[in-house]
Amino acid sequence: MSNNVVVRAENLSKRFGDQIVFEHVSLEVHKSEVVAIIGPSGAGKSTLIRCINVLHPFNEGTLQLLGHTLTGGSALPPKPVLNDIRTRVGMVFQTFNLFPHLTVLNNIILAPMEVKKISRKEAVERALKLLDMVGLGHKADMFPKRLSGGEQQRVAICRALAMEPEIMLFDEPTSMLDPELVGEVLAAIQRLAREGMTMILVTHEMMFAKEVADTVVIMADHTIVEKGSAQKVLETPQTERSRVFLRRVLNPGTTALDFEPMVGQGGDH
Amino acid sequence: MHMVRLWAQYLPQMLKGVGITLELTGASLGVAIIFGFILAIARLSKIRLMEIIARWYIEIVRAIPVLVILFIAYYSLGQIGIKLSGMTAAIVSLGAFYATQFGEIFRGAILGVDRGQKEAAAALGMPGGLMMRKVILPQAFFSILPPATNQLSNLIKDTSLVFTIGVADLMFQAYAAASTTFLPLDMLTLAGIIYFVFYIIISKFLARWELNVQQRRS
Repeated sequence: MSNNVVVRAENLSKRFGDQIVFEHVSLEVHKSEVVAIIGPSGAGKSTLIRCINVLHPFNEGTLQLLGHTLTGGSALPPKPVLNDIRTRVGMVFQTFNLFPHLTVLNNIILAPMEVKKISRKEAVERALKLLDMVGLGHKADMFPKRLSGGEQQRVAICRALAMEPEIMLFDEPTSMLDPELVGEVLAAIQRLAREGMTMILVTHEMMFAKEVADTVVIMADHTIVEKGSAQKVLETPQTERSRVFLRRVLNPGTTALDFEPMVGQGGDH
Repeated sequence: MHMVRLWAQYLPQMLKGVGITLELTGASLGVAIIFGFILAIARLSKIRLMEIIARWYIEIVRAIPVLVILFIAYYSLGQIGIKLSGMTAAIVSLGAFYATQFGEIFRGAILGVDRGQKEAAAALGMPGGLMMRKVILPQAFFSILPPATNQLSNLIKDTSLVFTIGVADLMFQAYAAASTTFLPLDMLTLAGIIYFVFYIIISKFLARWELNVQQRRS
């Protein structure tokens, strides 16, 4: 692996039973690169980044990341490999998934203390610094239930960052939020991008992808249909499938009348 | 008035029985919780043999009346040379039966924790045991309390069955007092009242605990 490629997926395929989630997916992510994956629901975007965090095994292909080489199969890799990857890859979920029985602070320090064996003092210090960074220092002792969706998601970002990951994965981080709360979460992600974090981001926010991502990947019909620099992909897409998708998301009003059902669209994964 | 005087006279004897009933409840509850937790973990285990054994144990034992289990433990095991004292037989039987109830409550509560919680913990690199202790069980505990309170009140009532093998619990004392006084109505009513008071104390206590847990998390 060339020294600045941190993720290299070759010909990955994933099925749930007979149902194809995605197939023949190849993708390279370089250090400090921000990759945005966009595309219609059911294209396999979320499952792809879950495979990169080895939350799911994949069926075929190879995945090289952080010095490990994983090959397709029905089982997850051995536990030491699994936990090494997961501690070094941060993940932010669509539904935040904060631990409801722990305060904001305890949400953030749990894994650094228990998994990385960092002292409580150091973990708390780092957590408060991260919270300050996203403007939530004053909410450290609250329980997640008391926070707005945008605040919860910013805490979730801090929780992932507290493990000092080398790669951050975002699975539609703003799609569960009220429109007016989207901005605060995107600002936190943008800040990370500026600091040089390597990121893979599944999103429906086209403008944000264009602004923050170096590379945009369009997934549709269970595979990658287009990939390239953000500007090139979003402004001059090369494949018909990408053009159809972009036309629909960028001008939802104008395409409503000539809507035709699309072939090959699966269910939601 | 007559009944109240009689109750006052027999109360000390009844209270001796109350001590045994409490002891029996506490010990069987302990056995049921520990064994029930093991059953729940076994049923959720990826090791198929463990899952099968636990599933069949639960299916069989919960289908048998507690009284039958009690007689098996006290009389039938004695027949093949395993002699248990009345108290031990009672604790083993109640523990074995209520472990199936608590086991299923624990399993349901663990499965009821949102899948996203498990994923979030896994994504932070937490190994299975740590995830269970720090993320899943504290949340499962929340949904365990109401059905567990229910089973605990059943357990208290079922301890009264042990008078049939001669353990001197509250029911035994009430029955004895009824026999000597020839006043079963008075004596058994008193026993009923005492069981009721127990139930009220325990359910109020657990309800308050549940409320505290809820408030602490909001």
